[in-house]
Amino acid sequence: MSTRFARRCYLAVLALLGLLLTGCATGRLDATKPIGEEARDIDGLMRLSGWMAVGVGIFVAAAVVTIIVKFRAKPTDDPDDLPPQIHGNRKAELTWTLIPTAMLVFLTIYTLPTVFALASEGDGRTIKVEGQQWWWQFTYELDEDEIDKYNLDPDGRYEIVTANDLVIRTGEEVNLEILSNDVIHSFWIPQLNGKKDAVPGRVHHWRISSDEPGIFYGECVEFCGLSHANMQMRAIVLTPEDFDRWMREQLDGQAAAQEAPADESPEAAGAALFETHCISCHVVDGVYESAAGGNANLLAGIAPNLTNLMSRTAFAGALYETYQTGPDGEYLRNPDGSLKLNVAELREWVRNAPDMKPARADNQQGMLDFSEVLTDQDLDNLMAYLKTLGSPPVLP
Amino acid sequence: MAIITDQPESPDLPDSSGPGTDLEVAAPDARGDDSPRTGVFARPTHATGWREWLFTVDHKKIGIMYGALALFWFLIGGLEIGLVRLQLWAPDGEVISADFYNQLFTMHGVTMVFLVIMPLANAFANYLIPLQIGARDVAFPRMNALGLWVFFFGGIFLNLSWFLGGGADGGWFAYAPNTGMSFSPGHGMDFYALGLQIAGIASLLGAINLLVTIINMRCPGMSLLRMPVFTWMILVVQFLLVFALPVITVALILLTFDRTFDANFFNVDAGADPLLWQHLFWIFGHPEVYILILPAFGVVSETLPVFSRKPLFGYPIVVLSGAAIGFMGWGVWAHHMFTSGMGPVSVAAFSATTMFIAVPTGVKILNWIATMWAGKVRFTVPMMFSVSLVAMFTIGGLSGVMHAIAPADTQQTDTYFIVAHFHYVLVGGALMGMFAGMYYWWPKAFGYHLNDRLGRWHFWLMLLGFNVTFGPMHIVGLQGMARRHSVYGEFDGFEFWNKIATIGYFFMLIAMVILAVNIFRTWGRYRRGLEPGAGADPWDGRTLEWAIPSPTPEHNFDYVPVVSDVDDFWHKKYQPDETGKLRRIAYGNDIAQLGDQHPHLPSPSYWPIVLAAGMPLIGFGLIYNLWIAGIGLLLLVGSMFGWTLEPATDPDAGHGHGHDGHGDHDDDRGAEKHDDSPDGHDDHNGVLAAGTANGEAAGD
Repeated sequence: MSTRFARRCYLAVLALLGLLLTGCATGRLDATKPIGEEARDIDGLMRLSGWMAVGVGIFVAAAVVTIIVKFRAKPTDDPDDLPPQIHGNRKAELTWTLIPTAMLVFLTIYTLPTVFALASEGDGRTIKVEGQQWWWQFTYELDEDEIDKYNLDPDGRYEIVTANDLVIRTGEEVNLEILSNDVIHSFWIPQLNGKKDAVPGRVHHWRISSDEPGIFYGECVEFCGLSHANMQMRAIVLTPEDFDRWMREQLDGQAAAQEAPADESPEAAGAALFETHCISCHVVDGVYESAAGGNANLLAGIAPNLTNLMSRTAFAGALYETYQTGPDGEYLRNPDGSLKLNVAELREWVRNAPDMKPARADNQQGMLDFSEVLTDQDLDNLMAYLKTLGSPPVLP
Repeated sequence: MAIITDQPESPDLPDSSGPGTDLEVAAPDARGDDSPRTGVFARPTHATGWREWLFTVDHKKIGIMYGALALFWFLIGGLEIGLVRLQLWAPDGEVISADFYNQLFTMHGVTMVFLVIMPLANAFANYLIPLQIGARDVAFPRMNALGLWVFFFGGIFLNLSWFLGGGADGGWFAYAPNTGMSFSPGHGMDFYALGLQIAGIASLLGAINLLVTIINMRCPGMSLLRMPVFTWMILVVQFLLVFALPVITVALILLTFDRTFDANFFNVDAGADPLLWQHLFWIFGHPEVYILILPAFGVVSETLPVFSRKPLFGYPIVVLSGAAIGFMGWGVWAHHMFTSGMGPVSVAAFSATTMFIAVPTGVKILNWIATMWAGKVRFTVPMMFSVSLVAMFTIGGLSGVMHAIAPADTQQTDTYFIVAHFHYVLVGGALMGMFAGMYYWWPKAFGYHLNDRLGRWHFWLMLLGFNVTFGPMHIVGLQGMARRHSVYGEFDGFEFWNKIATIGYFFMLIAMVILAVNIFRTWGRYRRGLEPGAGADPWDGRTLEWAIPSPTPEHNFDYVPVVSDVDDFWHKKYQPDETGKLRRIAYGNDIAQLGDQHPHLPSPSYWPIVLAAGMPLIGFGLIYNLWIAGIGLLLLVGSMFGWTLEPATDPDAGHGHGHDGHGDHDDDRGAEKHDDSPDGHDDHNGVLAAGTANGEAAGD
């Protein structure tokens, strides 16, 4: 029975291998399809070591198969007739110690420059990356040239704070300063670079870049508690012109947020509700500031800054799309070409977030459940207010 | 018979008490119940039924219980991960909650590492080390029992968390500060910290015991370089345990203090660096990997020569490379932390050291292949598992070299590529080796073979299921599927391979059901007399355990064997003829000892299990109420007194123990006031210790 069964198993394995070679649909996080320069360097190393491993593996497998086929005891063998009793061979031992050593010396020498290259700084802008349960925040500080370029007060200090969407410019080697506000997280956008942990109390430097515009997906890859799986992000790589537009719109959004909505409008009602229920955690630049500058009892800053909410492609740790998408993940558009807001999920998120993403709000981990607090009318008003925060995203 | 007493070889032993020293001479030594007793409580007599197991100090029963417990936890750990596999069947799985998922993968890892593979290795070590070195028991039999019961209570304690608010949810690696009170407010992590602490005590007890046993109690002539490779690998592992466990002990104490007494060891706001935990955990954790795999290497180093009918190729090299792995294993821990932000110099250094640990590992694999090469390989069930270890472990080892390349590891770490890697090492390597050992030594332990046909089904389903489960994880890992994510998205492209992996899990589950059926069915048939006995030497073995009857008699050896070569028993069966070719001169079953002597054996003891029961109480106390800990402490200290004051021997046994050749001296010293050997010396010490010295001299 066993040989026939073995043959069947063998066929099954072959069939699987066939599938492997033909049917590899890859997704958004595929590290073997590198785009960024750093990811491509790493991919080269992975392929080299992978093929070497395959080579050695085939050698060992061939030896094992030979043993199984050729050196199998036969029923006709005289049971007392022993095969040659070889106790060892110094030359053989030396050979199979030195050959692997040589291969590994080669690999080490080949690897080390990349280790140091990945640790070096790029020449682009610096973006602060903060991980916290369970979303990412990105902070851009404007440099003098940009302050000048956007006609801002040269004595001011300007920051753009966003969540989940890391917007960068093509061809720019962006330096990331990675921090954590609670537990250890790990920043990973596979197609741009490898991982770097966000460790509380430490600042880690990492680099990403891409010559191609596009949306590249990433996520937290160091186990960080309950909703670890739902701590995603995306790098949105824009051409220099688009990036400029994005930055301008972020600044415009900051300014617009400070204008009070018209009296009696749903937006005004929403703003009032926002002030009652949301600002203990959420910040809107210039309007509802973080705890550091205000009431110390407030927790503002532990939840995303919402100043330019509408300009982000995703919310809730990039778990949900801000704008509606089709079956293949493509953005749906209104007849006038504008994006369709994903009102249903955003509204539901505001109403009962823990139902859409595991959280422990009672322990200050994740958003509270407002389903008992907010009426339908309240939700409509809040949505009206949220829609005023920022303009639609700039897509690559 | 070939195995003789030590007298002719060691005429100058100081304390050998006359000819036939190891033969039990019952009459003059027999004592009645009137001999003085110093204990405060009665000591159990040679009990029967369940008491026989509960209070035993016999290394063989303890070994079997380690094995049975490990298989029980294997079932639990396997079912835990089954739910995880079902959750990952489809994108956005809704089979279980994220919270439960996190508990399941944490407890699966903890269970498989600490409650399955370590105790399985312990089962073989306990059962076989005394047999392989020609000893009557381990050095400290009661301590051996204590280790078992501490492990028993530790495992139960750890898993009681399921019924007391949920299992640990911080991953088996428990990175701070996620495992602190503020981020993991349930009691799961407390059970983790204290449960592992208890299990660690068990391992430490076992390690010290086996170290002393292997170093001091080898039979005459067995120099270190004549020891079976399994014994060697267990020796290396015990050194690793003795040095590695204190590190995790310290780390767990820090964690417990943080959680229970609001200490600040990992509190970043108070200035802590969470990388402290990572360093401590992996300085333990990486040697732990070798603690898990080396026993399996030892097993196949026994089975491959036996079933190839050739000596192990390069015995000293295989031993040396095992020891080298043990040493080098201390210099690679930070390869678990390539992305933690250590800085490029550390990363480069650990990248290099990690690559070179592949050298001794590769040397082992090539020596195994050379052992089988040109042999007459009998593909019995244990051999099939052993060969699959060689092939499957190689895959795991090679992917290991791939992530020794630190930049590549920044893409691979924390993805399913790593999950695939270490399951090829721990299932394809360690577990396959343990299964090989089970089928190989089953006849020695129980006197009959496990069913061959069912064994083959077990093997093929296991091999198939294992590859179908973990093979695809290489692919989804490289495609970016992260570990420990309770869901994946529909656009990630992970669905197909996850479905395959889940199907593979069920193959493995069926394989385990077949193993269980095999064990129970064959046992039942043997009890009804339907299974033939295996005989002393069913595989044409090479090491001393095959020179005694199956199942092993309670006293192991009638006579202390004397060896003069590696694979001494084999050379008793095969000798070169006039042309220099090896010819069979005897059959193992004919020259094996008869097991018909009845030397005194160490008496059972109540105290190991009672003392061990104090430990989980202390654990509960630290979690819930310190008064409970007080009760546990009282029990613990009280049992220590009971232990010390226990009567030296079982008065009803009717045997003296001057000549028992048994390593029961931790029991007998101090309390023993009536030693009746001619010179008042516990002569088993003399025989074994001097024999060892003698053997080493001969070996040099």
